[in-house]
Amino acid sequence: MRTISYRQAINEALTEEMERDDAVFILGEDVCQDQWQTHSGLVEKFGKERVRDTAISENAIIGAAVGAALAGYRPIADIMFADFLFCAADETLNQAATHRFSNGGITRVPMVIKTAMGGYSSGGPMHSQCPEAFLWHRPGLKIVLPSTPYDAKGLLKTAIRDNNPVVYLFHKMLLESTGEVPENEYTIPLGLADVKKTGSDVTVIATAYMVKIVMDVVKQLESRNISTEVIDLRSLEPLDIDTIITSVKKTGRVVIVDEDLARCGVTGEIGLQILEKAFKYLASPIRRVAAKNIPIPAGCLEKEVLPKAQDIADAIGLVLGLKENLIVKDTKLTPGFKVV
Amino acid sequence: MELTKEQKIKLYTNIVRVRKLDEYLVKAYYDGKLAGPFFHSQQGQEAIGVGVCTFLRQDDYVWYTHRGHGVCEVISKGLPAKKLISEHLGKVTGSCHGIGFINTCSPELGIFGMGGTVAGESTLAAGVALAAKQRGKKQVVCAFFGDGAFGEGSLHSAMLMSANWKLPVIWLCSNNGMGMWVPVKASYPRENIADMAYGYNIPAAIVDGQDVIAVYEAAQVAIDRARSGKGPSFIEFKTCRYRAQVEGIPDYCQEGLRSKQEVNRWKKRDPLVIFKKRLMKEGVLDQADFERIDKETSLEVEQAEKYAMESPLPGPEILEKALYAD
Repeated sequence: MRTISYRQAINEALTEEMERDDAVFILGEDVCQDQWQTHSGLVEKFGKERVRDTAISENAIIGAAVGAALAGYRPIADIMFADFLFCAADETLNQAATHRFSNGGITRVPMVIKTAMGGYSSGGPMHSQCPEAFLWHRPGLKIVLPSTPYDAKGLLKTAIRDNNPVVYLFHKMLLESTGEVPENEYTIPLGLADVKKTGSDVTVIATAYMVKIVMDVVKQLESRNISTEVIDLRSLEPLDIDTIITSVKKTGRVVIVDEDLARCGVTGEIGLQILEKAFKYLASPIRRVAAKNIPIPAGCLEKEVLPKAQDIADAIGLVLGLKENLIVKDTKLTPGFKVV
Repeated sequence: MELTKEQKIKLYTNIVRVRKLDEYLVKAYYDGKLAGPFFHSQQGQEAIGVGVCTFLRQDDYVWYTHRGHGVCEVISKGLPAKKLISEHLGKVTGSCHGIGFINTCSPELGIFGMGGTVAGESTLAAGVALAAKQRGKKQVVCAFFGDGAFGEGSLHSAMLMSANWKLPVIWLCSNNGMGMWVPVKASYPRENIADMAYGYNIPAAIVDGQDVIAVYEAAQVAIDRARSGKGPSFIEFKTCRYRAQVEGIPDYCQEGLRSKQEVNRWKKRDPLVIFKKRLMKEGVLDQADFERIDKETSLEVEQAEKYAMESPLPGPEILEKALYAD
């Protein structure tokens, strides 16, 4: 099978869906150029009416997408950094997420909010955040966080075809990563986790860039005879809780990894759902690895705040009750945040 | 374009209908019949929604505001009164199955409800206008808001987008002189809100909001501009709300109660009264006609209430169904 980058996978999904359905169009700040280079060739192919540059108005970008969706289109609202979503909190949380509900279910809002998230590029507190806990808190949105090129393409195609607002969070540090992607058309249903590796000692649950770090750690632990099962959730809403519970019943030990903050975060929510559904199967307390509850600093101290390989290895050691420390090497960063 | 006799009668009838519906909803609030905790009466401002919406195309779009919960706009656009009252009473036969309350939603009439944040739908209105422009069927979008909404950034983002892309939207500002309890002059540096639209290169007009014919004529100019691809317009209607910002709370105006004299001055130019006089003078309607219209519209409200009262409440099964579409 051919190998392409995560960036190209996003580009292929956009191109194919825009070819397939005239109702799909993109609007946002600098979408013709796109600093993440996920839009290469789109203007040439579809013109500036379907690849619409806007003023720097996040609220108008997302609000207009909601309006266009109500009126029969399938807009993709492009927000350059996920941190900027907060500028359009009303349009995202009150309008996109709630419109159908507050009108008794007689409308539908088929749209995608596509945005780049994540740290590890020393971007500082307003260019590094992962907003999934904020978004997951609000009923009415769907949330997708791909970790591989295969998922990036298949999930984006499904998101565009979904009849609800879907927030598509791609990770900056994964843009340059590569993986196998078939030439043939495929889609991936939302709400279906991917078991990246089967194992019997411990279940590690992760999303997006954390999956890459987890896989790196797990590989390093193979020589220690630790059998790890790794679950990539791929979407938070819908959440594939069944795959999680099946795995927990098998291993009895759980580590949950998320790049967003620990407090009121994804790790706590999933952890409690496991307690509610599978407490008696647990052989040890659940451990979580997430960002420390302080803003993300720019510069050399970023790594003190965001989850790192050693934190994950430590958590695995703790749930296994190991006496000695599991020492792992830090994951080598790929230069994903490259402004071209 | 001169209105026909029938069109004038329709405008008059719509003003009477929405006045009576508003009076009914005020009473329903005090009788404890409403499904939600508030009603924001629109009495005094009826000529605006009626004058703009009565002769729109069915496939044109209307965004209304919390003032009157859209009674003037949606009834004039064609929504049956029973749908509106049922929704206010929280019944499953309401336009949002009884869980929207202030929301009136009727996609087939181009009405997509109203949330709860002031100016919250302005960017949605720009998006619907973008869709209308892309589709090319000469539909227009009438986006109503109050003077109070002018302080919201989202409205300005939406106006900017509409001007930049020449979207077929008409920004309709009902300036009743008060943003909730704060007078307009305490919030804005200019007396006329329309003056500020020029900065976006949007042509603007200031119109007497009590005169339904003036409202209709001004709206037509803007609607024709939008239909012919010339882009957005802005109309500021000078008007007055007769009642308090919200029922149940006194009619405060910044540091004290609003003076009754001020409201009474406006009541001399009541939209219903001045249009009635005009129609009488023009010989369009006579006393017997007015009495007949009065009786018919009262019956409409009575029947709508009866329908709503007899309708069932929604069951909890709607909650999951309403959240996500298949």
